[in-house]
Amino acid sequence: MTGGFREILWFAEGGAPLLAILQLLPLGGAAVVFALRERTAAVVAGKAFALAELLLCIVIAGRIAPASAKLQLAERFAPLGYHVAVDGLSIVLLLVAALLTVLMTFYGMSRGMISPGRLFAVLLVAEAGLAGMLVTLNVAWFALFSALELSAVTYLLRRWASSRAETQALARFVQYQSFGLALFVAGCVVLGWGHAAARGGRWSFDLFELAGAAPAGRFQTLAFYLLFYGLAVRTPLFPLHGWLPNMAQHGLIAVAPALMVGVKVGIYGMLRFVLPLTPAAVVYWQPYVIGFAMAGIFFTAALAFLQTNLRRLLAFAVVSHTSLLVIGVFSLHEAGIQGAVLLAANFGLAVTGMWFVVGFVFRRTGTTELGELSGLFERIPFLAIAFLIFGLAIVGMPGTPGFDAAHLILEASIDTFGALSTVAAALGNVAAAGFLLWAFQRAFLSQGKQGSPDVDRTTSMEYLVCGIALLAMLAIGFFTEPWLYLTEAASKSLAARFVR
Amino acid sequence: MSRHLLSLLVFLPLAGAAVLWLLPARAARGLTALVMLATLAAASAALVAFDPAGARFQLLERVLWVASLNVHYQVGVDGLSVLFLPATALLFLAGLVACWNLVHDAPRLHYSLLLLLQCATLGIFCALDTVLFFLFWELTLLPVYFLLARWGATAGSARVAARYFLMMLAGGVPLLLAFVLLAASQPAPAFDLPALLAKPLPRSTQYAVFFLCLAGFAVKVPLVPLHTWLPQFALAAPGSLTALLAGLKVGAYGLIRFAIPLAPAAAQDLHWLLAGLGTLTLIYGAVGILAQSNLRVGLAHASICHVGLAVLGLAAFTAQGVQGAVALLLSFSLSTGGAFVLLEFLRQRTGSTDINGLGGAAATMPLLASGFLICGLAGVGMPGTSSFPGEFMLILAALRSHAGAGMAALFGLAIAAAGFLALYRQAFFGRATRREVLEAEDLRPRERVVLVILIALIGAIGLYPGPWLEIVRPAAEAWAAGLRR
Repeated sequence: MTGGFREILWFAEGGAPLLAILQLLPLGGAAVVFALRERTAAVVAGKAFALAELLLCIVIAGRIAPASAKLQLAERFAPLGYHVAVDGLSIVLLLVAALLTVLMTFYGMSRGMISPGRLFAVLLVAEAGLAGMLVTLNVAWFALFSALELSAVTYLLRRWASSRAETQALARFVQYQSFGLALFVAGCVVLGWGHAAARGGRWSFDLFELAGAAPAGRFQTLAFYLLFYGLAVRTPLFPLHGWLPNMAQHGLIAVAPALMVGVKVGIYGMLRFVLPLTPAAVVYWQPYVIGFAMAGIFFTAALAFLQTNLRRLLAFAVVSHTSLLVIGVFSLHEAGIQGAVLLAANFGLAVTGMWFVVGFVFRRTGTTELGELSGLFERIPFLAIAFLIFGLAIVGMPGTPGFDAAHLILEASIDTFGALSTVAAALGNVAAAGFLLWAFQRAFLSQGKQGSPDVDRTTSMEYLVCGIALLAMLAIGFFTEPWLYLTEAASKSLAARFVR
Repeated sequence: MSRHLLSLLVFLPLAGAAVLWLLPARAARGLTALVMLATLAAASAALVAFDPAGARFQLLERVLWVASLNVHYQVGVDGLSVLFLPATALLFLAGLVACWNLVHDAPRLHYSLLLLLQCATLGIFCALDTVLFFLFWELTLLPVYFLLARWGATAGSARVAARYFLMMLAGGVPLLLAFVLLAASQPAPAFDLPALLAKPLPRSTQYAVFFLCLAGFAVKVPLVPLHTWLPQFALAAPGSLTALLAGLKVGAYGLIRFAIPLAPAAAQDLHWLLAGLGTLTLIYGAVGILAQSNLRVGLAHASICHVGLAVLGLAAFTAQGVQGAVALLLSFSLSTGGAFVLLEFLRQRTGSTDINGLGGAAATMPLLASGFLICGLAGVGMPGTSSFPGEFMLILAALRSHAGAGMAALFGLAIAAAGFLALYRQAFFGRATRREVLEAEDLRPRERVVLVILIALIGAIGLYPGPWLEIVRPAAEAWAAGLRR
């Protein structure tokens, strides 16, 4: 009873239970950093643990065999329902999560945050939550890790807010996220109950077992809606994005939004759980989801044009491009799924990079209001160009990972929905290019105002943070093949569940 | 060496752009000149290595790039594209001289962007894989945007740059869709141009591909009504950049290379659309010249007018038509490119290219004035200049295939010539009154070198077009034969 899933257990491949280490390492790191309090060693330890986690992810990526559609390095501990494994889709997002965490530790240093030791501890807890969500094959554990990560981010927002209006942003964040989580948990309960009904009263939240006993008829629709909207709040998907702009504007720049939207666990959750567990409902509701996503691309792009604050503008950019990811996922086509995962990784890197630049600008100017920023290009050309290139990556410029990924989604979309809606989706990208360029021109290229103070030149830490992100992006962009290979088999096996 | 000649040519400017950052800023300009000279040498070597009588595509290089999508890094040239390589290299060199003393801030950034643009433009002419082509196609946008927004000639140039960028990006959407559709219509996804050409598509797919390609390329060509960016661009951009964009007609090249041969049946069914758009563009450009008071905007309309003629000639779908179109496009890089470079010289001296701010400029700058006249006359297709053979063939082809449109074209060309001469008279003749004009200095030695090279080529190709046309002819015949299968 594995619902069409197959796995390879970790000891079958030799070596160590790497996924357990992957989850425990950041938690242990958080404990160490927390114990060191505000000593300088805490900062060093925080960076070391983040780097170690990234190395571990690279090791895992090297260990798995991408050509196999099986879930690999699986670990089980039945009494707790603990069941983890990775495949090509999750490893891509794991790598993004680990890389972003490393960059965030560097970024936190260069911004000169208060109590960096405590910040790094929270960051590592959030990373543990992300890693847990990305490896678990149990919906209840997914919800648990989600709660862990959300509480870490909530603490982050409370302690390191950058604006007076933080309480409002915090309240909105908690309301939305707890609602989303509650929906997801309710969805889990429906699934578990469905399993109990089918298997003589035995409850289970395990993906393998649930996939073999999907709830029937109306209950499947119910489960689909609960899970989908629970994840949609998290993702965030139009029209459930209300928490993000406030949090982006008032929360800790870069770190908080990067943790929430840099790693697209919402999209991942849809691929891993929603698609296999409620297949009939997914097929039935596909046109409606796509319709909302199409509307979301344009509606949020229009909202982005209306923003006067750079941070809010980026938040709407995220919502707009997330709609494109949902189109990829719900094309239920192997190319679309593969494209969605790669595009999610690309967006995560690019948006976080943009947020880093915004943070660096904020450190200099104390504002992110577009009306007050001007002429920054003259003083910080490297950061300006980095901002533009990250923006172009979001638009899917050739040479960035966004290109091949967007191309895959378009291919799937032509196949599934025809050319007209595909053109519409692609034009959404042009709209995104429009508001990003507009923001770039106002903040960086416009004439410096009379009497505005000179800002500091780019520091070496800023070169490092943006340089690594840029380099990673361009390298993946021009050398996409390994990433396509990594995600191909897993996407195929997922799409094979939906016979077109 | 010759096996990797095209890769060397395309990536030489890119390598140069990287080296710029290792050297002090004051060395940037000199190094850029050296790199561009070396690129010109490599482009000439490619021209020499090319055998017009040999296989269709030569100097081929093919490396698997993205295996699971079956995308190749594939470059090669045929008679339709090989001449564009030296033309590109030459025009970039002229553009560099045109902005020789203009770049004071961030010179390394400016010159590396210029070299990046050269790399992408050469790549467009060499790419034989649709994905690779699209990569180079979109890669031109970033340097153009930056060069215009950061080093523009007017205060509003950033807005013009953003508008250009967005129009081109929007144009890229149908193009990408066309390439994806082409790939998806094959048994296994294929982006390889020679392979795609070998297998005709079903008719309905051809229509979709043709419309999408036409929409994508028409923005760049530019065809009326998608031309609005060009006059604005000519006014806001530094002359060197306008020379590159107006002189190198990559949009029309795209029509010749991709849109028509990939969807031959649809293109021939829709000949009226192509011819109609071409004629409309031609007449619009010609009449547009009459309404201008600025030489740069006037010249932009002249270039719109002539590219309309090229499209009209293409709609004949004959070897003569495509040969004439390629010859005219090549001549553009000399005449239109040269004229924009000269206008940049003029703008640097007098601060204006508006006829109200000039008047009598020929008295103080006789060399510049006569050089501009020659380039301009070449631009309107004067016999004895490089544009004449191409224009003549195009008109013949048009008269045979669309007699009415051909007659209208003749009429339009006469208006264009009259419009140009009227503008020229007001700007350069008469009594000079403004101080800037009276005190202006004629061309400096390095500017004279550019002028002499351009005019020598315009004259040589105009008087003795045979060898150049012979390079194009076999490929043009193969192109036309490919359509009739």
